[in-house]
Amino acid sequence: MMLQGPGLTDLHAVVDEVWSSFLGHEEPLLPALPDPASAGGITWSAATSVTGAWNGVVTVEIPDAVAHTATERMLGLVAGQALTTEDVADAVGELVNMIGGNVKSLMPGPSVLSLPLVARGTIASPSDLAEVSCLDLTWAGAPLRITVLARRDAPTQAADRSARNSADTRESA
Amino acid sequence: MKILVADDSRVMRQIVIRTLRQAGHGGHEIVEAQDGKEALELVRSESPDLVLSDWNMPEMNGIDVLTNLRASGCQVAFGFVTSEGSEEMRARASQAGAAFLIAKPFTPEAFGAALAGIGVE
Repeated sequence: MMLQGPGLTDLHAVVDEVWSSFLGHEEPLLPALPDPASAGGITWSAATSVTGAWNGVVTVEIPDAVAHTATERMLGLVAGQALTTEDVADAVGELVNMIGGNVKSLMPGPSVLSLPLVARGTIASPSDLAEVSCLDLTWAGAPLRITVLARRDAPTQAADRSARNSADTRESA
Repeated sequence: MKILVADDSRVMRQIVIRTLRQAGHGGHEIVEAQDGKEALELVRSESPDLVLSDWNMPEMNGIDVLTNLRASGCQVAFGFVTSEGSEEMRARASQAGAAFLIAKPFTPEAFGAALAGIGVE
């Protein structure tokens, strides 16, 4: 079974661009080893799906503190100002929307990007999806995880797409 | 001039407005729409000079808003601000009559260049 998706280098570049553009350059995103102990601390999850020539889901999982800091920075607020749950959900959804949109641009088209789904907690993946890339990072000392999952294709479809993908290059967004 | 900013994310509308300011376009009147249907209504009731629209929105997406406007004879300047910046999306935007497509994440320089391209200095 062949699964298509962006490589870790491309995914990292996309996430880094989104983070630095809207959350600042002061604290860099740093690679991290998967930390099972931190899994219990992840409280915000967001997902967006791509449907069409490529079928997949992009998810972002971040702790509450990161979600709040990201929301403050995206709204241009002073740290510590009161935030509504709707604002935090909106900001986390916009993060996955931007990452998902850029991942979509890396994959064969045409395809359609869904509106983001955001949860305080974790989002279970449908069983017909399998992980193709998982990026564990830290930002300001807190863990975050970006995952790309792709639908398990019939082998012949996957082979066709693999052949098409070999000629693809990343488009500049 | 009057600019309509259409995006279902309030956070993103605030970022777009702040980026316009950072690009030297802080003196314009801003009208906000939270979905495509409201954007279409506000173009008709507010007569903005420029529409900056997300692509993927509830009720009506951005490309349908633009298509609807052009079909009704409205030639308001229209640019997309979207997370989807592939050549395919840029071609669709251009064919529908958009003046530009700014891909998220973006910079004030991208806004400055896009607006300069339609004569807004």
